[in-house]
Amino acid sequence: MESTRGETPPIEQQRRAPRASGARRRPSGEAPPLPHGLGKTGTFWLLVIGYFVTVLIGVLIFPSAARLFERFDSMRMRWIASFRVGWLTHVMLWINTLSSRWVIRVIRWGTILALIAFKRWRQLWVFIGAVMFLEIAAYQISLSMARPRPLDVTILAGWNGYSMPSRPLAGLAVSLVGATYSLVVAGRPRYRTKWAVAIVVAIVVFARLYLAIDQPTSAGFGAVFGAAIAIVAFRWFCPNDVFPVSYRRGKSAHLDVGGARGAAIVAAVSDQLGLEVLDIKPVGLEGSGGSTPLRLRVKGSDDRPERYLFAKLYARSHVRADRWYKLGRSILYGALEDETPFKTVRRFVEYEDYTLRLLNDVGIPTPEPYGVVEITPEREYMIVMEFFDGAVEIGDAEIDDTVIDEGLGLIRRMWETGLAHRDVKPANLMVRDGHLKVIDVFFVQVRPSPWRQAVDLANMMMVLALRTDADRVYRRALLLFSEDELAEAFAAARGVASPTQLRTMMKQDGRGILERFRELAPARRPVSIQRWSVRRIALTAGVAALALLAISLLISNWAVFA
Amino acid sequence: MTRRTITVLVASIVALSSLAGCSASSSNMPQCTTTDENLFILMAQSVPSATQVPCVAELPAGWTFGGSLVQSGLTRFWLDSDRAGIHAVEVDLTRSCDPSQGVATPPGPDEVNMDVFLVPGLPPSFTATRFAVFEGGCVTYRYRFGGEASPSLTVEAQEALSFLSRRLIVREVELDFGLSLCGAFAKPCAS
Repeated sequence: MESTRGETPPIEQQRRAPRASGARRRPSGEAPPLPHGLGKTGTFWLLVIGYFVTVLIGVLIFPSAARLFERFDSMRMRWIASFRVGWLTHVMLWINTLSSRWVIRVIRWGTILALIAFKRWRQLWVFIGAVMFLEIAAYQISLSMARPRPLDVTILAGWNGYSMPSRPLAGLAVSLVGATYSLVVAGRPRYRTKWAVAIVVAIVVFARLYLAIDQPTSAGFGAVFGAAIAIVAFRWFCPNDVFPVSYRRGKSAHLDVGGARGAAIVAAVSDQLGLEVLDIKPVGLEGSGGSTPLRLRVKGSDDRPERYLFAKLYARSHVRADRWYKLGRSILYGALEDETPFKTVRRFVEYEDYTLRLLNDVGIPTPEPYGVVEITPEREYMIVMEFFDGAVEIGDAEIDDTVIDEGLGLIRRMWETGLAHRDVKPANLMVRDGHLKVIDVFFVQVRPSPWRQAVDLANMMMVLALRTDADRVYRRALLLFSEDELAEAFAAARGVASPTQLRTMMKQDGRGILERFRELAPARRPVSIQRWSVRRIALTAGVAALALLAISLLISNWAVFA
Repeated sequence: MTRRTITVLVASIVALSSLAGCSASSSNMPQCTTTDENLFILMAQSVPSATQVPCVAELPAGWTFGGSLVQSGLTRFWLDSDRAGIHAVEVDLTRSCDPSQGVATPPGPDEVNMDVFLVPGLPPSFTATRFAVFEGGCVTYRYRFGGEASPSLTVEAQEALSFLSRRLIVREVELDFGLSLCGAFAKPCAS
């Protein structure tokens, strides 16, 4: 909804207002813009898993059910055995080698080496974890079920251990599906690969039934179990939205805004903000990993021309990523600042909307907020704001004293109003018509620590000096800050206190900007970024214990890979 | 239940199940008295021609069941001893034995020809191999005693081990499932 401030209009106008702006309230019972559903694939997997779980429980509780399944499977196997001929048996024996230990090892090691080569650590750990979980679980289930090999039909190939679930098929499925999710780009390539994997596994299943190594239910359960473990592991711990597979440079941790989601965004913005979206384009992907930034082109109205808006799409995967990020920071540095993670994606967008409005209220040049748009309740939300059309990132802009003063003044204003931006870096500072603008206010904190405010000042001065020089920025800074304050800023700005992008650019610059600032400012003892607390120690000990457990599991199950 | 709770729960189950995995095989002992165990069906399937299947009669004091491995062509289980160490006795069921040992196959399917006792090593690291031959199969006993364990422990170990006729297992399968346990003593199977 277009932001309106001032007095409340008469009630007659209030009733008509939404209709006039084009916004519409979603009545009770109407589906949200992008309803959350399992989809056809999800429903299929759920039904298949439900079937096998029911069978497993039934067989474990009622021995008569085991006898029933054994007879049923044997009947089907006798029918399959009726097709046995010499040449076909040779073909099936050859196909069966695909489920051999060596082939599975090659797939697993190939995937692991490829993931190491591409430095996809998250995918690597999820892949190893999924394989280990599968091997352990399949082994335990096979011991619990203790199902012999097929009866009534001569077995034509080698086997190992109990048959339910088929461990070679489970191992093959988890390896192929895991490799697909960790190495193949999402979209059409992955879709096609998944089909290819399904066909390969189905052929191997048939070969093993033909050779009477596994019963139909054991083979089916093995293949489904392996695939399901890989799918769940990757969708849960390595969602493509946050940890995408890409062979292009830069980050692209973003949601697909085409198809159903694109249509839902258009409908949601129309219903909830009364704006007609003409085009959606992902922008600034390389500078953002915590959300999906979008540029929306919206239709003009009687009083406003066609224009662009900026939007950030948040999903639950972003909340999880934020939680991991904060956990890592808490362990590495202690409670530097508020490291409490958000619990829901709704809180995520609500907070950003609040900070945006807060900064606007105190006069910081940030985008005008348009509001929050619900895409899927509790799962996906989008925050919409003004797009600084024609603005360029400060790293590419001409910097004069006006911009320097505005940057320093902005920090001064934040200090005075008890705020800290906490993410001052070139990607978040734009210049338009010779004036500085601030974007991405998600990390803004109210009543931050003095250390955090000091770091903001140092980071701002370093950003400004990147396009000018330290001496000039320092001279301008003395007009707004005391020498003591500047000394405190550069004593506080150490290591991770500065965003990664800023540190990288400083390194590339090579002039030693930070060192020069420290020479100019009065000497002051460095402010330690390490904060120790009982919580940090407990957290570190807990994570270390889990890591040790994971390593010991890896070592004890090394045979899975070796 | 939140996602985090579910994640922690799953992780705990994985960790516990994997720890349990270390000892899972030890409970799976082929006891001669429990002929309806599926383990015997699997063992019989590993060497379909064998008319006998090795089993554990009664473990003497100080002996424990170590674990088992059953695959096509081979059934192996082993016993641990508090005096002779882990893997003190290893029992292998195979289709045939090393022919150089010259153990004769007995005339009847329910008979077992034992002996041929080889003693390649002497204490302190006693090792020995013994064969039992029967129609369609052979069992090899490998003794590897660590420390200063007495070779007389082989007698204890041998008393703990016995045989189960495949005939009994075949009958159990027919009664339970109405199906054939392909191989010796069983009805012909689809091939």
